[in-house]
Amino acid sequence: MTQIIIIIIVAILIALGSGLLGMLRGGSSGSDKMFKSLVIRVALSLFLFVLVMFAAFMGWIEPNATMMAGSHT
Amino acid sequence: MNEQEYYVSSGTYWPIIGSIGVATLFVGFANQMHGASWGGSIMALGFAILVFMMFGWFGQVVKESTSGMYNSQVDRSFRWGMSWFIFSEVMFFAAFFGALFYARQLSVPWLGGADNNMFTPELWDGFSATWQQIVFNTPGATLQSGTAVSVPTQLVDTWGLPALNTALLLLSGVTLTFAHHALRADHRNNIIGWLVATIVLGVLFLGFQITEYGHAYHDGLKLTSGIYGSTFYMLTGFHGFHVTVGVIMLTVILYRVQKGHFSADNHFGFEGVAWYWHFVDVVWLGLFIFVYWL
Repeated sequence: MTQIIIIIIVAILIALGSGLLGMLRGGSSGSDKMFKSLVIRVALSLFLFVLVMFAAFMGWIEPNATMMAGSHT
Repeated sequence: MNEQEYYVSSGTYWPIIGSIGVATLFVGFANQMHGASWGGSIMALGFAILVFMMFGWFGQVVKESTSGMYNSQVDRSFRWGMSWFIFSEVMFFAAFFGALFYARQLSVPWLGGADNNMFTPELWDGFSATWQQIVFNTPGATLQSGTAVSVPTQLVDTWGLPALNTALLLLSGVTLTFAHHALRADHRNNIIGWLVATIVLGVLFLGFQITEYGHAYHDGLKLTSGIYGSTFYMLTGFHGFHVTVGVIMLTVILYRVQKGHFSADNHFGFEGVAWYWHFVDVVWLGLFIFVYWL
């Protein structure tokens, strides 16, 4: 599950970066590229949020709240 | 304007005024953190200088833009300028995420005896190498050696405000995308509606974030609560600061949309701010996932 989450985060970063390149290029083609990339980034972000909530609900992942290995008390 | 001529603005005093404003703000903030009674007043003065700078500088750029002084070369300069600013922002947050990973995956386990550091925990009596949203609110417990320690009693609720705030910020990304679409389709009333919704969602996020800080602080999670408290407040605090800046920029863009400064094919000001907001949105998503879940 963790790997799937990381892959989606990387995809979001790529979409965001692609939007930046579109903004940098400017003009009508750059503007189109920017808008499409940002739509993809929003869709992926929503999907990831729903996925994380669902995975937590199903018990596939747990909040990051466990004691670390090697702890000394 | 002739494409061959490059518009060079005359000398301006706004950058130095902005620098004085930021310096005043942070001197006030640092002294406030150290308990100085005058810290808050100096912070307010720095903020007032910044607001004055924003009105003056933004106003000047808008006036130059609407009077037709900017050609395609200047447009390119703006795009490159925004891109370098964004690069510095990416490196800024990369450093703090790096600190989070280093502390969580390497330095804290080493201090707890991982790898070849098995005797390190013996150096400090009662040391506990932990990394979690644990609330320390039961003072008075003691170790066998007699050292007083706080005992972790409950976990910060991951499902509550953090998840709600994530939903709010992601939703603001959706409303901003609708505003962007409306601008490209030249539907001005729709742009205004969606932009107002985005700003309201941003302000709601900030309100809940302040509430969350209140809960965490009351329960004992402070900047001084070890490396977890430090990185938690540094990351989320600077993110909150960026959301504040984003809300201010979106408000300026809303004003400019109402004034009719943008057209369907010429709206770099909107694009720059929209990308910034998407970036701040993604940073929060990263924070939510890495701080609370992974």
